[in-house]
Amino acid sequence: MEDWRRIDIDAFDPDSGRLTAEDLKPPYASSVSLQELEPKISQLRSAATSGDFLNALQILTTDPPYSADETTKNQYFHAVLGVLTQVRQADITNLVKQLSPKQTDVLVKYLYKGMSVPEGQKQGGMLLSWFEKVTQLSGVGPVVRYLSDRNTV
Amino acid sequence: MSQSLRPYLTAVRFSLQAALNLTNFSSQVVERHNRPEVEVSNTSAELKLQPMHVSRNEHEQVLIEPSVNSVRVSIKVKQADEIEQILVHKFTRFLEQRAESFYVLRRVPIDGFSISFLITNKHTETMKTEKLVDFIIEFMEEVDKEISEMKLFLNARARFVAEAYLGEFVY
Repeated sequence: MEDWRRIDIDAFDPDSGRLTAEDLKPPYASSVSLQELEPKISQLRSAATSGDFLNALQILTTDPPYSADETTKNQYFHAVLGVLTQVRQADITNLVKQLSPKQTDVLVKYLYKGMSVPEGQKQGGMLLSWFEKVTQLSGVGPVVRYLSDRNTV
Repeated sequence: MSQSLRPYLTAVRFSLQAALNLTNFSSQVVERHNRPEVEVSNTSAELKLQPMHVSRNEHEQVLIEPSVNSVRVSIKVKQADEIEQILVHKFTRFLEQRAESFYVLRRVPIDGFSISFLITNKHTETMKTEKLVDFIIEFMEEVDKEISEMKLFLNARARFVAEAYLGEFVY
């Protein structure tokens, strides 16, 4: 048996009032499934292949699937990462300028998410230049809002 | 400074500025205790904020874990080959053994990272937050330089030693 002196008994007490990461998730009315996201993903893909990055960026920063489960979010994130890494460095500033503050906040969430997963880390330079352009235009605000927001992408 | 290093350091700087907004906060579990909440796992998730990963590539990353009264900053230093792995390990260990003279240094790095800093509200109250950020950034700049310098020095020394010893066998 493991060291029973170190067992945290309060964790087993339902009345301890202790909050876990699960409890902090905002209550969503419904959960988005992968099938519902499929059209959005294909929209993103086609916009990216046709070079219409502004459209793609508008799609991905509007109404992100907060309520989906982790695997769905990851699937969706692959499409998002594809868009973000295809944009040319020189175009980034112009694209970021055309986003509303709310959309910028969502973009920052995706950037941090990208840098935390291995696929995104391979493209670290690209994500960092996005991040740099965002902070040049809107300062530390979006980062602070990312920190305190419990809605994850 | 190289082209891709600058955005990396800017990202870390902005993330740190956002995270280093700390307040005094007593433990909710133990009476008269005041502990860095980021270090107390499994209790009160509401006191922790979203962790921030900043990565330049797979080998160079920074993880910033903020909470209400403390921030943990972990740095993964670039380790391209085995010599660099040894050098980074020795170097960070040297610093960690003298952690109390650095105030914000953590004695043990968290898993997967080379070195960790733990900044609490005590530190931001007694020191200038801007300077703390500058310190971390400067450390990140310097550590790469230091490691590559040490590697060059080590190679030069190895060559010299090899020449001196193996010269015996040259006729």
